[in-house]
Amino acid sequence: MSVHEYDAVVIGGGVSGIMASLHLSCKGYKTALISKGDPVCCLSTGCIDVFTGEGNPLEKISRLPKEHPYSLAGRETVIEALSFFRETVSRSGLPYVGDYERNRRIITPIGTVKNTCLVPLTMAGAEHAEGEYLHVVSFKGIKDFYPSYITSRIRSSAFSVFDAGVSTTLGIAAKFEEPAFLDTFISWLQGLEIPHDKIAIPAVLGTGNPVSIMEKISSAVGRTVFEIPTLPPSIPGLRLFRALKKALQEQGGHIYWGKGVTSVECQGEEIEAVTLATTGRSSRVQGKAFILATGSFVSGGLYATRETVRETVFNLPVSVPGERKDWFNADFFTAGHAIEKAGVEIDASFTPTATRLKNLFVCGSIIAGSEVMKNQCGHGLAVATGVAAAKMCEKRLS
Amino acid sequence: MIKTDVIIIGGGATGCGIARDLALRGVHHYLVEKGDFASGATGACHGLLHSGARYAVKDAEAALECIGENSILRKIAQKCVEVTGGLFVRLPGDSKRYRDSFLKNCEEVGISTQVLSPSRALDLVPELNPAIEEAVSVPDCSIDPFRLCMLNAVTSRKKGGGILIHHKVTEIIREKGRCVGVKVQDKFTSQTKEIRAKIIINASGAWGDIIARMGGSEVPMTLSKGSLIISNHRLTNMVINRLRPPSDGDIIVPNEAVCLAGTTSIQVDSPDAIEVDAKEVDIVATQAEQMIPRFGTTRLIRAYTGVRPLLKADDSDNRNISRGFKIIDHKNGMFSIMGGKLSTYRLMAEKTVDAVVDQFGVRAHCKTADLPLDGQDELSGYPLSKRLKKMDNIVCECELVDRDSVENAINNLGIQYIGDIQHRTRLGMGPCQGGFCTYRALGIMQEAGRLTPSESIQILKGFLQRRFRGIKPALWGDQLREEQLVESIYLGILNMGHKP
Repeated sequence: MSVHEYDAVVIGGGVSGIMASLHLSCKGYKTALISKGDPVCCLSTGCIDVFTGEGNPLEKISRLPKEHPYSLAGRETVIEALSFFRETVSRSGLPYVGDYERNRRIITPIGTVKNTCLVPLTMAGAEHAEGEYLHVVSFKGIKDFYPSYITSRIRSSAFSVFDAGVSTTLGIAAKFEEPAFLDTFISWLQGLEIPHDKIAIPAVLGTGNPVSIMEKISSAVGRTVFEIPTLPPSIPGLRLFRALKKALQEQGGHIYWGKGVTSVECQGEEIEAVTLATTGRSSRVQGKAFILATGSFVSGGLYATRETVRETVFNLPVSVPGERKDWFNADFFTAGHAIEKAGVEIDASFTPTATRLKNLFVCGSIIAGSEVMKNQCGHGLAVATGVAAAKMCEKRLS
Repeated sequence: MIKTDVIIIGGGATGCGIARDLALRGVHHYLVEKGDFASGATGACHGLLHSGARYAVKDAEAALECIGENSILRKIAQKCVEVTGGLFVRLPGDSKRYRDSFLKNCEEVGISTQVLSPSRALDLVPELNPAIEEAVSVPDCSIDPFRLCMLNAVTSRKKGGGILIHHKVTEIIREKGRCVGVKVQDKFTSQTKEIRAKIIINASGAWGDIIARMGGSEVPMTLSKGSLIISNHRLTNMVINRLRPPSDGDIIVPNEAVCLAGTTSIQVDSPDAIEVDAKEVDIVATQAEQMIPRFGTTRLIRAYTGVRPLLKADDSDNRNISRGFKIIDHKNGMFSIMGGKLSTYRLMAEKTVDAVVDQFGVRAHCKTADLPLDGQDELSGYPLSKRLKKMDNIVCECELVDRDSVENAINNLGIQYIGDIQHRTRLGMGPCQGGFCTYRALGIMQEAGRLTPSESIQILKGFLQRRFRGIKPALWGDQLREEQLVESIYLGILNMGHKP
């Protein structure tokens, strides 16, 4: 068995875990990140939702109950974390735009409008003004994008379909990385003679450098071009993950990818090490402090049995909202099922309240009461609590 | 106005069986059904073709009918029946005395049994509880109720019968106290049709009393809700029954890639708007787990429920028909066929048609037991090898249904309902339960000009709501995980939870 020693060990490679690792790495701590695989942010729109609804999301989160993770992080840390996020992704070549004090509106593949806070630069043009003409481009055979949903809801709009020769979002994105393909696409688009205003394209403009692809198209046709985030697997989500991971690697954070924790060693009130399942031999990863960032149900940080909910790494006590029959509303479309409240309870130090472990911190949607679907705050909460938990961890390490 | 000889109300196994029987005897008819085929109890049961052993101890007559029909259906409906064989397993604590009378009664009825040691039974079904005391093999089979209905309808169509699915009876036309026809409404277009006939057969199962009352009479019934669960794996290749008096959750039936376990029995007041309770899921899962322990840990993909149309214990007009079902002549031009079970649908249809043809002097005998079901040769089934050959353009990843199959279903069958596509292609039948592919299929229907975008969104919303009702009572483990993902797609990415 190989043994490695770190200041901080972060478990979970999603947005909150990477943000926590990055914060600590930037402060000079030797950090390890353990992840079972690509995180669920690859399934997301890639946008940073801070809080649901129109208006100022920061003001809305200031009105949350004091035990909500946003409240525990505090306004200053939330702003600091979002700024840190923007600097990070910008350095990785994936700039985001937006204003923390004003939600912006993007168009969804079904033609509805969704509020979000920060968006990748390729979605900057998505805010649609009344009366503006919108031309939607789709691709032949693409499974999850039917442009008539959008054009039926916007009065002045039309769509055209391009045959990319492949029909998956990943396949089309890979094609856009080829200069010859891009040129063909651009001349096709020029041939359409789109009258004016904007062009919307499903988010397939390459995985590596979407901004330059978008700008090339935009300058060639003389129109604003923007992307519409699609269903999983989502290219903007994948780009976000890759940009964050790249930033962490450049910062020197060590990454154990594709590995799950198989056992935990504790000494008194402290976690001493975790053992990872790796092919051939196991590794023992030792740390002075640990951060749990394994997320909620989809990513596997929480697991529901017929009777209750378990936390899957440390078997921490989980706050469970009632019995199974109470977990879900009768109506599918009413967000805020009780089960969303399930999670690990923490206090302002971002440590779990119902255990004696002193060197464990928790961030992201595994925190009890996060309610990320109801509040539409997934990535915002991940960024904010990732940094907040890392700062508490930093305090302990110093 | 349409004129015919017989109108059949109900497109379950009984109704479709009657249509086939009438067609083979040369009687013109129309079948009307308010939903798709098998949308009542027929489609909401185990899909078990009983050997009769389940009834041998308490109801020898029903058992005798079952074993007779079992051997007939194996012959005439090969593409609907999977000859799995069945086991009755006796667990520690289950009465030995019951086992003895079970064996004795099966022998008397003529159901072949074989007593197996635990190790022999475990050889046959390795997932069985190793603590079983013994097992008895019986000739139970698995049957596809939806396909059964469709194939019965094929014969009717071939012989010029009319089949109207998604047509709801809005009125039974009466003249001088006699039922002379029906008015039906197309669910999709809202257009109405009037059909007139000499005889109306009420084969509407749990809706029997509602229909009878529209015709001015009534059928005393007890409605009993039975709920089942579906596992994501085929944990057994044989039907598994508990060797004890019938009770909740004592049957597990393999079907395609999954297993069905049930049922419960709870009296309800109405056949509409029934739902599965979380508690029923617990009862069935706990019982199934005793026979096949992995049922407790395997992923459940959903729960569903149907209403058994049981007869009230009142035999005043029960003529020479067995206790399992009853044919009622309302003496006003309407006959009701009530009770019974899927396994004996053909016999029920035969007896009903016998009673009806008497009315207008047709002498032809029933041929349904001798001729194989029409349309079986055209059925390809869903062999995996075939589906794996067409891996590009997959619309439903769980069941490997490709875009061509969906487009064919839409174009050739003129399908208007997403549920119809699902039944005919297996789209959306897998673990995600249509969470991904329904959106796609509707997009394809929209592109084909079958639906407008706003109709499509309305249908999607309705589908997601119904889907959620089926999934909700059995949500834990990986299924809960998947459901949270589906929720994040529709309420998050697509923002369908709020007004734009």
